[in-house]
Amino acid sequence: MWVVVEEVRKSFKILLAYPVEVVFWIFSPLLWVIPLVFQGKALIGALSSTPFGALAGTDEFIPYVLIGAIISTYMFSAIWSMGNSFRDETYYGTLEHILSSPVRPAYILLGKGLYNSILSTSFVIVQLLICVFIFGLEITLVKVFPIFLFLLLLIAGLYGIGFMAAALTLLIKEAHGVLHMFEYVLFLFSPIRYPVEVNPITRAVSVFIPLTYALIALRGLLLDIEFNFWKNSIILLGIDCALLPLGLLIFHYIEKRTKTRGTLADY
Amino acid sequence: MKRGEGSTKRVFHYLRAINAENIKEWKIELTYKPDFIRQFIEPFVYLFPYLLYGYALLGGRYSEHLKDMTGIGDMVAYTFIGYLFIGFLNTACWAMGFSLRKEQWYGTLETIFVAPVPRWVYVAGMALHSTCHQGLIMLIQAVVITTFFAIVLKMGGLFPALALVLLMLLGLYGLGIIVAGLTIALKQWWVVSEALSTLIVVVTPIAYPLAVLPIVLRKASMFLPTTYGIMGVRHFMLGEQLAVSLPTIFLRLAIIMVVWLTFGMATFLIMDRYGRKKGSLSVY
Repeated sequence: MWVVVEEVRKSFKILLAYPVEVVFWIFSPLLWVIPLVFQGKALIGALSSTPFGALAGTDEFIPYVLIGAIISTYMFSAIWSMGNSFRDETYYGTLEHILSSPVRPAYILLGKGLYNSILSTSFVIVQLLICVFIFGLEITLVKVFPIFLFLLLLIAGLYGIGFMAAALTLLIKEAHGVLHMFEYVLFLFSPIRYPVEVNPITRAVSVFIPLTYALIALRGLLLDIEFNFWKNSIILLGIDCALLPLGLLIFHYIEKRTKTRGTLADY
Repeated sequence: MKRGEGSTKRVFHYLRAINAENIKEWKIELTYKPDFIRQFIEPFVYLFPYLLYGYALLGGRYSEHLKDMTGIGDMVAYTFIGYLFIGFLNTACWAMGFSLRKEQWYGTLETIFVAPVPRWVYVAGMALHSTCHQGLIMLIQAVVITTFFAIVLKMGGLFPALALVLLMLLGLYGLGIIVAGLTIALKQWWVVSEALSTLIVVVTPIAYPLAVLPIVLRKASMFLPTTYGIMGVRHFMLGEQLAVSLPTIFLRLAIIMVVWLTFGMATFLIMDRYGRKKGSLSVY
């Protein structure tokens, strides 16, 4: 437990050395929504669309894409921050030190996962507050608990993927391209920017992505769209139960393999 | 005569160095083949959400409202042309901006900086490589998308459209040089790149005409080469109605190109001198 806490503390210290990054990650997801708002205005000439409502459950496309952008913060964090977490240690020259310390590497990984979860959740809270105070999004207190429940279920599943990404960078070092591929799949096939029902391929692939169920539930809660609470919770829980142990297992196997082959310090 | 021979020799010397930089970049990129292939997939990944979002909003491909504003009703063709040329923005911000940081990681920045050529030669080499690479990516994207979505382009407008793209490109390379220069001083280059490219994407009429932007953003877009480049290309290739006349577009684009390139080179040289004076060239 102490190792996990220390890892979180260390990561926050490093982050605070680059304060511009904090500002960037708070505002950039909101900025990415702006072109979609203008595109909607240009295509429809209004701020609501009936065909969009038939697919998404709400005619109003701005809150829909806004929530998608905010929640995608977790996707970027799981893929990029987790994926690069051990790669960064290689750049700092500290990878061998932390992996040769007398603790199980899984705890270090969990520490990095916890740090990224806290950080992403802080970003998401600030972004939601911006939406509440500037864009007039309404969140009643009753909804706060289910929102956090779904966020927790989402984080667990995505960090399962993040653990695999971290392991991958230990194995193939310049995993930039592979991480991009992870991002592309999640970005294209989950309902971040558009309802996946618009295309049969996106609809079929989205079934396997935890982000899909979390976004359905969170949009349902925040925008009062009808959704099946228990179905989405159980599916997310099932995905978490599969992805988390799988992520840890893959990390354990690859970490052992790189140590055995002596490629841990390779660039 | 001797002086003339000397300057010709020097020009050839510089051209060789520019080409060497271009070849070196191709060699490095081809070493990481999966990543090289990925760069050809990336434009599709970022274009499709715009298209699918458009389909979801319209329940189809054609928009009456867009047609009233621009003369083009086909949302796919409109967005595709806009998005196709914005690829050069990513090249300028990421490939050129990232170039010096990469040399730093490889540990070769000091080595290339002591080569007997001016600094701009290195930047020109990067620009040449970026143009070739992005041009190839765009060509593949254009062939795939026009075939898949059966988009008919006005081929008669191809040459004036390419002339506009050339001017836009040179302007964008001014931006790339600014980012490359800032990388020397501000080591967190990617925040600069990402912030700049995000803001430019917002105010550039990629998937929407300028008319939908608030007045402040519309004014800001007038200083960007991408605004005139994309509007002009869409006019030549798809027949978009223009709010600004064509000679004005060419003139403004030429002015923007000169200003951005001059400002870019000045920023780069100042940052380069600053970095060497402070001894921070090799600092991470």
